[in-house]
Amino acid sequence: MATARPPRALPLRPEEISGPIDRLAGLAFDALGPSYLRDLAREIDEAISRAPLELNALGYDPWGFQRDVARRCYLIMALMYRWWFRVETRGLEHLPAGRVLLIGNHAGQVALDAAMIGAAGLLEANPPRLIRGMGEYWLPRLPWIGLLMVRSGSVVGTPKNCIDLLEHGEAVIAFPEGVRGMNKSWTERYQLQEFGLGFMRLALRTRTPIVPVATVGSEEQAPSLGSFAPLARLLGMPAFPLVLTPIPLPVRYHLEFGAPMWFEGDPDDEDRVIEEKVEEVKEKISEMLAAGLERRTGIFT
Amino acid sequence: MKVLITGAAGRLGRLVARRLLEDHEVVGLDTSAWPGRPREITLHRADLRKKSTDDVLRREQPEAVVHLASLRHVFDERLRHDVNVGGTRKLLDLCAKHGVRRLVVLSSSYVYGALPENPFYMAEDTGLSVSRHYPEIRDLAELDTLASGFLWHYPEVATAILRPASVLGKRSPSTMSGYLQLEVSPTVMGFDPMMQFIDEEDLARAIVRCVEQKARGVFNVTGGAALPLHSAIRIAGGRALPLPEPLCRALIGMMFRLGFAPAPSDAVDFLKYPCTIDGRAFREATGFVAEHDLLQSLRSVRG
Repeated sequence: MATARPPRALPLRPEEISGPIDRLAGLAFDALGPSYLRDLAREIDEAISRAPLELNALGYDPWGFQRDVARRCYLIMALMYRWWFRVETRGLEHLPAGRVLLIGNHAGQVALDAAMIGAAGLLEANPPRLIRGMGEYWLPRLPWIGLLMVRSGSVVGTPKNCIDLLEHGEAVIAFPEGVRGMNKSWTERYQLQEFGLGFMRLALRTRTPIVPVATVGSEEQAPSLGSFAPLARLLGMPAFPLVLTPIPLPVRYHLEFGAPMWFEGDPDDEDRVIEEKVEEVKEKISEMLAAGLERRTGIFT
Repeated sequence: MKVLITGAAGRLGRLVARRLLEDHEVVGLDTSAWPGRPREITLHRADLRKKSTDDVLRREQPEAVVHLASLRHVFDERLRHDVNVGGTRKLLDLCAKHGVRRLVVLSSSYVYGALPENPFYMAEDTGLSVSRHYPEIRDLAELDTLASGFLWHYPEVATAILRPASVLGKRSPSTMSGYLQLEVSPTVMGFDPMMQFIDEEDLARAIVRCVEQKARGVFNVTGGAALPLHSAIRIAGGRALPLPEPLCRALIGMMFRLGFAPAPSDAVDFLKYPCTIDGRAFREATGFVAEHDLLQSLRSVRG
């Protein structure tokens, strides 16, 4: 992309790159952080430098990802991945190089499933991949949260963003259930909600393989009684889940990446035709979920 | 080829005029004077809204018209609307009447508006939503829409509508340059949108290229890579002052009324959300690539 060209190398002075507080915090962390954290941070640094990314002189990619901020976000995600959810990941060898659309089940009231899939992509895939989330439209309105979303590599989930990222050879994750899945109640756990059709049209248009991803565990991390619609409307949120736990439970996550699925056809075909293809993906994710539930010995183990 | 430039005495007008002068005959039209202009340039002092503009076109019979005259960020909203919308409509009618063959109209990428759900790299078919949150510059969107109507109505005229990213120039009066020239630039806490820029010299080159290549269509025009707002402020040598949003709006509103800030408080959305554009169509149509280094342009903006 023309818009994505990094500026020609010009020496940047440190004060042009980041503010004084950022630099102080970085120095303090390097000097005082516990060695485990520093090792983890180094592992993440190394993964980011090996991942196929196009960063300019300031460490930004064309979609607002920034190396140093992302490194801190991924540090927290990696701690959750290793210590809180003790994630077991299989099938990452299925992740093809170049453009790929990951499609998963969505659950758990907050999008930690996306964060764990992202951590798996960076920490366990070889070579490491930055997996880019497609955020809800209301997220950019939230100060800092919208900013961290963008700096760690995710974007607002508009079709144009998705097409640009895929054409650029990126790995994009989408949850076609959206909030219908993420904010469903405890009684609906592991029941896939209605899938949107947009992802299939985009995959057909950009000729992108789809990798189904099944997440076992997220569905039990935050039991909810359902969504309180009036309050959600009042706050301008897509849902206001009545969650029973203050923080997500330390369930064990099992992630499974399936074999890539290739689809062909007219991206502007009737819904009926697109639905059949979407159903195939949904079916595959259900199977993987069932197999994952079969394999695990307990929610926390 | 004879080229008529409206707003020729303005900052960008002068750059375009000097460039066109290398190979063409240049006629300017402006309400203001241009002391010290090259002798070869005829400058007609006329108002777009008045009959005198008709006379200028009749007498000069230009083959190409470059429409740069518009008022930005003046207090008198009625005057702005009169000049930007009324003046443009009148000029378009005159172009059709006097057989102009090539037309370049300067719009802006701001017509898309800065909305939270904006994708990065908006293409030209994105809706013009600026008036949703920034009604003061809806006349800019109207100007753009008028020109687009002309583009489809008169296929025999090669009409190019350019929507450039924020324009940078040494002590330039453009909105973004003005903002970057502030001693302290107020920003909104928790927001740091990606921004795109184009050097004024590059924009002038892009305009000349449209005239010479008979480009037809609506085009986004952008310079180098996108950068976040706070980095741009730092590289320009300024200081960002992140404030809670209501405070930032109040401060910018006050600064605008006192003549310090280049835009009113509704422009604060451009400090929160991205308004970044996809420049591919223009590059494919004309082969245009920005030449100025983004970092150098930013560093020189304060002069």
